[in-house]
Amino acid sequence: MTKDLRGLADLDRAIHEPARLLIVTILSTVESADFLFLQREAGLTKGNLSAHLTKLEEAGYVEIKKTFKGKLPLTVCKLTKSGSKAFAQYRQQMVKFMSTTG
Amino acid sequence: MKNESTQVQQRVMRYWYIDGLGELVGGGGVFFVLALYFSAQQYFGEDSLVGGLLQAGLFLILVGSFVFVRRLIASLKMRVTYPRTGYVEYRASRQNRILMGALAALSAAAMSGVIVLIVRSFDAIDTMVAMTGILVAVILLVKQVWSTRMPRFYFLGAISLILGGILSVSGFARGYNLGLFYGFMSIAFAVSGGITLKNYLRENPLPAEVEND
Repeated sequence: MTKDLRGLADLDRAIHEPARLLIVTILSTVESADFLFLQREAGLTKGNLSAHLTKLEEAGYVEIKKTFKGKLPLTVCKLTKSGSKAFAQYRQQMVKFMSTTG
Repeated sequence: MKNESTQVQQRVMRYWYIDGLGELVGGGGVFFVLALYFSAQQYFGEDSLVGGLLQAGLFLILVGSFVFVRRLIASLKMRVTYPRTGYVEYRASRQNRILMGALAALSAAAMSGVIVLIVRSFDAIDTMVAMTGILVAVILLVKQVWSTRMPRFYFLGAISLILGGILSVSGFARGYNLGLFYGFMSIAFAVSGGITLKNYLRENPLPAEVEND
């Protein structure tokens, strides 16, 4: 395996999956966002989004809280510190990989 | 990859403007207060008791309006926007935002200074309203380029420039000129926000489960 391809193999699989990458990108922009917003922005079904969020939560990248905003029940998701760090590292790895492979 | 993620991030930042409530309540409300303020000041005279009180209270009036409008927008978003398209909490204070805000304020101040110097050479022109028109347009343009990227803000900026230009040579007293400027801008923001809100409500009906609650 070449050095370049090894770099690709080292990518964080929890983030590398396209739907999860989109979720993490959205959450990296805001303080927090609810389930409905993520579902609409990512274009995922409820079940699909729920499964991806569970994986991100298990990796310690996303924190999920059920709360109320006034009378409105919300499932609010937030990127954790390790999630932000992992996303920044993932971006760096991808940029490096893209620049070396041209 | 960087471009795609930047696009996603910009779309998320634009979400705040998706419903038009910011323009309808924020722009419309604050400009309406300013329209009343300058008209009242002109009507009562700057040397009168009411005029003096208005002048002394401008800061409080503005801060009060901003606080009230902010709360009203948050409350309306909770009823209108979040049940339809979801809730987002933006980061309150980021260093680059402060830096960009300071840069925007500095460039706006520098630009208005230069404009005043140029415009003052023409006696027939009300410099204050012309300067206000240009300043509001510059702020909208800076906002457009850095965060919103929504064409309707170009339109509002153009209205501000045209209004400032027309009113500066109208011959009305300065207070009424400013009152008219903010009054028309209040209407422009309210119309722009109203149309955006109408389209938003049409495109995003309330989900069935929320409607049944």
